[in-house]
Amino acid sequence: MLLASFLEPRNILFENRVLTKEQLYQILVDRLCSQYKLPICGSKLMELILQRDEEVSPAYSTGIAIPHIRMENFNDTLIAMAFLQNPLDYNGIKVSWVVLIITDKTSSKLYLNIVAALLKLSNDKEAVADLHNTGDGHSVIQYLKKKEVEVKKDVTIADIMVQKPIAVHPENTLRELINLMCMYRVAGMPVVDATGKYIGEVNVLNLLKVGIPDFVMMLDDLSFLASYEPLENLLEKQDLLLVNDIMATDEKTLSPETSIIEAVFLMFTNKKRYLSVVKEGKLVGLVTAMDILTKVIAV
Amino acid sequence: MLAALIGGFVIIVLGVVDQTIAFSAIDWNVIFFLIGMMLTISVMRETGMFMYIAIKTAKIAKGSPLKIMALMFMATALISAILGSVTTIMILIPIVLLISEELKITPVPFIITMVVASNMGGAATMIGDPPNILIAGATKFTFVDFVLNLTPIILIIVAFSLGLIWLLYRGKMRVSNERRAKIMEYNDKNLITNHKLLWITLSVVGLMLLAFIFQKPLHLENATIAMAAGLILVFVGSRKKVETIILNDIDWITIFFFIGLFMIVEGLVHTGFIDLLAQGVISVTNGEPKTTSMVILWLSGIFSAFVDNIPFVAAMIPMIERIGEVITDPVQIKPLWWALSLGTCLGGNGTLVGASANIVAVGIANRNGYKISFMDYTKIGVLFALESVILSSLYIWIRY
Repeated sequence: MLLASFLEPRNILFENRVLTKEQLYQILVDRLCSQYKLPICGSKLMELILQRDEEVSPAYSTGIAIPHIRMENFNDTLIAMAFLQNPLDYNGIKVSWVVLIITDKTSSKLYLNIVAALLKLSNDKEAVADLHNTGDGHSVIQYLKKKEVEVKKDVTIADIMVQKPIAVHPENTLRELINLMCMYRVAGMPVVDATGKYIGEVNVLNLLKVGIPDFVMMLDDLSFLASYEPLENLLEKQDLLLVNDIMATDEKTLSPETSIIEAVFLMFTNKKRYLSVVKEGKLVGLVTAMDILTKVIAV
Repeated sequence: MLAALIGGFVIIVLGVVDQTIAFSAIDWNVIFFLIGMMLTISVMRETGMFMYIAIKTAKIAKGSPLKIMALMFMATALISAILGSVTTIMILIPIVLLISEELKITPVPFIITMVVASNMGGAATMIGDPPNILIAGATKFTFVDFVLNLTPIILIIVAFSLGLIWLLYRGKMRVSNERRAKIMEYNDKNLITNHKLLWITLSVVGLMLLAFIFQKPLHLENATIAMAAGLILVFVGSRKKVETIILNDIDWITIFFFIGLFMIVEGLVHTGFIDLLAQGVISVTNGEPKTTSMVILWLSGIFSAFVDNIPFVAAMIPMIERIGEVITDPVQIKPLWWALSLGTCLGGNGTLVGASANIVAVGIANRNGYKISFMDYTKIGVLFALESVILSSLYIWIRY
């Protein structure tokens, strides 16, 4: 499916005036409400959009904002967009392209794919500049047709993963690993070599295990022990040991094309809350269970 | 395990015995006895009673290394008489590694002496070590027979062994008071959290022992008693899921090892190999019971020091049955069985590879950075093996 197929020229605006966010939304809402019979419209719809904006910012660092509303019993997907001469400020992010999407409660997949296509497009600076220069709705649609901007049928891991995640090298010391974990407040991260090739993963439990020998793990019960020196003195070893000594190299990884359901399945079967995404041997991303919750389910 | 199982079916494929005969050789009384005991042990372990005994032992010894060694020796022997040597070693060796780390002394002497104790303790009862379980399966001996005939000599051997420990290690291990205090700080209060489970378990195990004692008038076989106790405990007492216990706590590798072994031995009997062996022994001893006992004791002792004692006993059982066709008096044949049991269990102490407990313990030590070489173990183990086989010889010679 082409993104252009979802658009209509009259719902694509070019705005030269200096507007507030509310004014712009009002224009877009009016556009849609005058043409379609929506279950909720007018000021009610405005209220919903603004409320939603409060909960989750619709702005992305690429300069696009995608406010959206999902309605019950509305078996369609509507898109209205505006290219702005004077960017809006979304908590510090300058937005010059606002896309309002109204869709059905049940069609989250299509919505996500449209968002994914828009985000990809907004990453392409040249294309965004071209779109701004077209000047009218017909040309925008023509341009998108010519560029063959696709809306994928299914969401894959590539759409929701964190790109270029923090990673360590096997030759980093444990001190460096601990610093990274504390700085980014993450409990684990992939291990890559100098060329970005995926090697394995290391997490906080691998780290704590340094202070607990094998025989302690064999005990049935540790309640009799109030303290254990090797664990408490773990930091003594932080300059002596390398990530290479403690990392796991047999962890399950995903490819960017993996489906969401398979990723969730693999999280369960491998008892892990995050998985590295690897393409042709290189680390390309990381996906967490929270990514799936916040980017697929609770959108 | 795999070797035993493959061997068991190879003899069928090669036509040494047919499948019906090979399957009928599997002693289900032994197999289900093992499964029943494994279930029982799994719940007993869950109560925390063994951890409690171990930690309490260290505290009673007040952190003194030689006292810990002596008390751990006795505790290991005692627990092995119930759990078998390998399970006991797997529970106690990690504890002694922890204690020696806290005391900042090497755990190696502790590990070696505890392995020795586990093999001795296992020999004391019918339920202790696999050789005894196999002998019980093959003979009419009851739990009480084992206690009356084997426990006394094991007690004597343990007492002499404590003397040997004193000779070997006295004054060799020094520990600071500060280190000692750490052991005394161990809190044993929380080790047994579920008192109800403990009492249920102890009652069921008590009833199981009573059933073993009165198994003749009750007309109950070993497998029935062990399975009854195991199943009751698993269903009534365990907090864990039944499936988990059956999947994880029954050592299926051992079970299939035994199944394969029974089939292989049947093959050996059919080829006439066992007959040949039996005739060999009788020709040396002229069928004189006392001499035959001594030959079996020392033969088993020496063999068991180098090869796994379970297949050895499995092969020796039909051999003694053959000898029984020559020495027909049941009173005179008895000591042969006790000689086999003592020889195989105690001979296993002789070298590092003599028994499963030795290999398991050294494996745990190696994984934790304490290398115990074949010679490290053997130069101590052989002393205890010699001491105990000599005492056993005297015992059998005088008593029977």
